Amino acid sequence: MAQRLMPIPRLVPALDTEPADATALRAEVRAFLDEQRAAGTFTPAVDAWLCGWDEKFTTALADRGWLGMTVPKEYGGHGRSFLQRFVVTEELLAAGAPVAAHWIADRQIVPSLLKYGTERQKQEFLPRIAAGQCFFGIGMSEPDSGSDLASVRTRAVQVDGGWRLTGTKVWTSGAHRAHAFIVLARTAPVDPAHRHAGLSQFIVRFDGPGVEVRPIISMNGGHHFNEVILDDAFVPDDMVFGQIGNGWQQVTSELSFERSGPERLLSTFVLLAQTTDNMARQRISRDADLGRLVARIAGLHHMSMAVAGALERHEPADVPAAVVKVLGTTTEGDIADFADLHRGDHGALPQQARDLITAAVDQRPGFTLRGGTNEVLRGVIARGLGLR
Amino acid sequence: MTVDAELVAMMNAVFADHRTAHGPTAGPELWDQLRTLGLARLTGAEESGGSGAGWHEAAELMAAAVRSGVRVGLPEHDLLACWLLEVAGIAVDDNTRTVALLDESGTATAVPWASTAQRIVLVWRTQTGEHAVSDVDTGQVRITAGANMIGEPRDTVSADVPADGATVSEATVTTLHLKAALVRAVQVCAAMDTILELAVEHSSSRIQFGRPLAKFQAIQHMISDIAAEATLARTATEAALTAAVGTTWSAPHLEFLVAVARSCCGHAASVVVRNAHQVFGAIGTTAEHRLHEYTRAALAWRGEFGSVRSWDERVTTAALQAGGAGLWELITS
Repeated sequence: MAQRLMPIPRLVPALDTEPADATALRAEVRAFLDEQRAAGTFTPAVDAWLCGWDEKFTTALADRGWLGMTVPKEYGGHGRSFLQRFVVTEELLAAGAPVAAHWIADRQIVPSLLKYGTERQKQEFLPRIAAGQCFFGIGMSEPDSGSDLASVRTRAVQVDGGWRLTGTKVWTSGAHRAHAFIVLARTAPVDPAHRHAGLSQFIVRFDGPGVEVRPIISMNGGHHFNEVILDDAFVPDDMVFGQIGNGWQQVTSELSFERSGPERLLSTFVLLAQTTDNMARQRISRDADLGRLVARIAGLHHMSMAVAGALERHEPADVPAAVVKVLGTTTEGDIADFADLHRGDHGALPQQARDLITAAVDQRPGFTLRGGTNEVLRGVIARGLGLR
Repeated sequence: MTVDAELVAMMNAVFADHRTAHGPTAGPELWDQLRTLGLARLTGAEESGGSGAGWHEAAELMAAAVRSGVRVGLPEHDLLACWLLEVAGIAVDDNTRTVALLDESGTATAVPWASTAQRIVLVWRTQTGEHAVSDVDTGQVRITAGANMIGEPRDTVSADVPADGATVSEATVTTLHLKAALVRAVQVCAAMDTILELAVEHSSSRIQFGRPLAKFQAIQHMISDIAAEATLARTATEAALTAAVGTTWSAPHLEFLVAVARSCCGHAASVVVRNAHQVFGAIGTTAEHRLHEYTRAALAWRGEFGSVRSWDERVTTAALQAGGAGLWELITS
């Protein structure tokens, strides 16, 4: 018993009390959302940050200064804190608002541009992202590179004045409506000893020559994903993103923003709220698993806030983000399953409730896949624990 | 809310040294030491001989005892019994105490540490519907010894309800329940954090098939899930604790936060205990190995001062009262 264990540093930072200005901002967003719902501008939906593309709604958010919040004012943004942005996004997600159009640009392209973009790139994209006029997709995965991102085969070859890209990207949400994406490509042959070397990123416009967008239809008939084929697509030198050869480090930084947000636990929150209503109205039987799920979402909300605090302080957040995402995506899927367990075919549930459940169970498999599978993320946690 | 590292180190050393010299049971010698160091009544008012510290320090003290596997009714004494006496305006001395909430027949069941305490703080509902408190010698009540699954006294206390006592409010009794619930949440979290440390250590040193267990992906994933669940439980517990301390236990949503913490702790323990025993293999199921000091403790404590399901039910009730439209506000309040 005398043996002392090595204490393990906490995986998620301690919680701060929510600052008063953040609480006030919540109230402001809630009032806006109540107004919009009352006006019938949107119907709360499951997974609306992926499926709810509504450019008018995006414009309305931009008008209130809720896009590009962390962008400095000189780039058309609002110079607000990461925590304030967090609060706004949490409120929008909890309401199931249609935020897909700007989601990727606002979530990960903004911080990436601020960190790695050239002055010209920042001038060109940031003001338009903040105004809700420029939408981005993600160019990481490929047909043969899912979780194993370092194995991407899209090649970029240097030519006079720029680069020529050839390869295929998949699961590019919104590519059929968005303007551009950041492509991860190989600029040097694979060195088996340094798999992460020789990767670079490029800003590629969807309407450019040699770029073809093809739909990937989801199993429920929805169209959110696309395949993007790059056939000798020319990218000028000024659209090289960050440094040639630094792609892995850049993409890892981008992923920490992609993985850490509240959308990793709130994709089915509107279904949880609706199930609560159905239970309160005795359309379904009382079941204490509702409390279990509400408790987990409440705990995850606190954890997600703590991660936002870490990002605000520029602390490394890959491990805490992985913890939130593993637990959060599992729980949002469990909410879909919980609602479905109570569904039945002769019950008192209205059609609208059934439709929401169907949408949730159809979206569910994606929760624990996108942005890094839970298996990959458990590996990230294991590394944080010193196991690998 | 960060507690001074030297203080935490001192707390850890007290229990670790006691464990080495005397084993898991807390006897008079440990209590004497705790009194000398000002830890026995860590949160008591300084004017009545307490140390005037807060719940964040107390949480570290509880965790230190759990980490060393020392079983002691210290939180029941300081955070529950002596606190209640202070609220009731009854003088506090150096005797060790616990709290018993008597029913109409004058009986309280599953009273922690009654058989080893020197005095018992009785709480009962008077005929006029108020709550009364009295501090009595253990000789004045009948104690039928019982124990939880890790051998901690959980006794039945019967008493002739005293003719009079100091009156305390309904809110005080509610707070007593929440404090008791949070004590167990903190203890479950400390047990789970230690289980994680043990699992990391074991999997890194145990060699099978020519490599450490930690190099197997299946093992990494089980331990990652231990870490994730323990972290969620800890975050939920800290959220409740922070709200409690920040509002001197008057936050309107405190009961919800405590219920959330207890629900998260309880369900986390399912995963943590199952995965830890799986990682340790058969050796972890033996009396000789220390893993059970934490796994069995986590299971014992998660069901005290309310079953896990009863806390799920409380969250369910709060959610149903809030309704779908108020659910998000309930969670973020």
